[in-house]
Amino acid sequence: MDIISVKDLKKHYQIAQKEAGLAGSFKSLLHRQYSVVKAVDGVSFAISEGELVGFIGPNGAGKTTTLKVLSGLLYPTSGAVSVLGFTPWKRQPAFQKQFSLVLGQKNQLWWDLPAQESFILNKEIYEVPDAQYKSTLDTLVQLLEVADLLKIQVRKLSLGQRMKMELIAALIHSPKILFLDEPTIGLDVVMQKKMRDFIKDYNRQYHSTIILTSHYMDDVKELCDRVIIINQGRLLFDGQLDEIIKKFANHKILTVIFSKDINPDALKSVGQVREFTYPRALISVPRAETSAAASRLLRDFPVADLNIEEPAIEDVIREVFTGKDLA
Amino acid sequence: MRKYFTVFAASWQDEFTYRLNFILWRFRNVLRFLMTYFLWQGLFSATSTIYGYSRPDMVAYIFLVLIVQAAITSAPSADNIGGEIGSGDLSNYLLKPMSYLRFWFTRDLASKSLNLLFSFIEITLLWLLLRPALSFHYSFFSVFGFVASGLFAMVIYFLVSASARFTSFWYPENTWGLSFLILIFIEIFSGSIFPLDVLPPAGQIILQATPFPYLIYYPISILDGKITGLYLWRILFQSASWTLLLLIFTRFLWRKGLRVFGAEGN
Repeated sequence: MDIISVKDLKKHYQIAQKEAGLAGSFKSLLHRQYSVVKAVDGVSFAISEGELVGFIGPNGAGKTTTLKVLSGLLYPTSGAVSVLGFTPWKRQPAFQKQFSLVLGQKNQLWWDLPAQESFILNKEIYEVPDAQYKSTLDTLVQLLEVADLLKIQVRKLSLGQRMKMELIAALIHSPKILFLDEPTIGLDVVMQKKMRDFIKDYNRQYHSTIILTSHYMDDVKELCDRVIIINQGRLLFDGQLDEIIKKFANHKILTVIFSKDINPDALKSVGQVREFTYPRALISVPRAETSAAASRLLRDFPVADLNIEEPAIEDVIREVFTGKDLA
Repeated sequence: MRKYFTVFAASWQDEFTYRLNFILWRFRNVLRFLMTYFLWQGLFSATSTIYGYSRPDMVAYIFLVLIVQAAITSAPSADNIGGEIGSGDLSNYLLKPMSYLRFWFTRDLASKSLNLLFSFIEITLLWLLLRPALSFHYSFFSVFGFVASGLFAMVIYFLVSASARFTSFWYPENTWGLSFLILIFIEIFSGSIFPLDVLPPAGQIILQATPFPYLIYYPISILDGKITGLYLWRILFQSASWTLLLLIFTRFLWRKGLRVFGAEGN
């Protein structure tokens, strides 16, 4: 059953424009010019219970705006949205008690108090029974290994520690749906990995539905089977992660190790040389011509090793965003 | 209801972490008291009554201002609401099953209660130090009227300052100017520097059409027995009307504002 459904969602903003410099400021004081930004421009998708979906797109693609509409912070310009059967921007308490939005660069914890106090406050706000609060908190504290940090002022915590506390605060009412916006932003690689493990465990243990946005492909690769790609407010792709490559990459990468030095110009007859530092070359060839190109390489060049690979997903997505063709 | 008790408790803890800030804020209030105190002392050195106020009347008035101000104008909400809208931190509250206005009103109440406690200590110390002659004319009714009008005043102050900060929805960069203007109006026209009946009649009539005199001047005048009987009920009725009017206006701005709120900052 669909727990989230979005149909033809549009969110257009009117924003004031100001020309550069002081003169521009005076000008905008007298006569403001507005332009319309189409942050989200006709996006539709549906998500079932228990899914862990990755939302990817470059900065300003409309990912966060979509999450903000789904969680009731923004009114859409048009379109139909239903989350758990509710209309998010009506902000009904019965709806609010069932989801959480974690914004990677926002703080909900009280800065000058230990995180524990914010947890207690959230317990009361969400009307979580004592026993449930205790067991949820214990589980989360254990999973995130923060038992010794609960009594420390939030301002004294490191970014990584604070992110963990933010997560606990967001999960204390055991939400059915979790919107995570850049949950690993600014974290070091070790912490990123831990955060990912946690998200995966949480999804499995509680069968919660999670939508995650991230700049780090690693987050998406490790966590999400299904990916939704948006760019400039429009949906580019919605499907399994590995289908992205099939759909968008019409080429493969040949990695060759030569046994003797060769004339790099000669490689152009095989395909597009993307990298060459003796003894190694990366050559991109159209998908259909892969085997022909490989046999030409083996026949005409002193090859020590040859590998045929799909292009890296990061590359494919980057090229999709920049509108370039990879071949 | 329980959630707001927890907010109240957390606010007290928060105030305690800013001890120095709190002490400085109280110190400022004492300084202001001393400033007006010595100003009036100077004026009374030449004459025994000014605008119908004797020296002990006036001293009583400014002592009461210190208490009433603690209860009414101590409001962390005023420093935070505009900023939270501009920076998008308002999002944190909008996600939760909790009212933003009630949240900040609760935080204000927490701050007011602490300030009130301290203002009593300060008054005692100042009285011991200055030993001025005071004159009070209170009765059971005047105390009742004072408490009632004081409660209205708290809400009126909150709504005036909150609605001023809500302009941040439309002009995130301009809110401080407007709030500062309102702060100055409140300072002068609420009666915290001088009792408003020293103003010429025309000025008094204009002021009666604003919510400002209901903040400090009327509550103190009621306590001091200057406003009694039917007049007292009229003032209470007008306080209630201002409260209701401002509540409707504030909620209207809030609903309109949320429509344009961009939840910025991420």
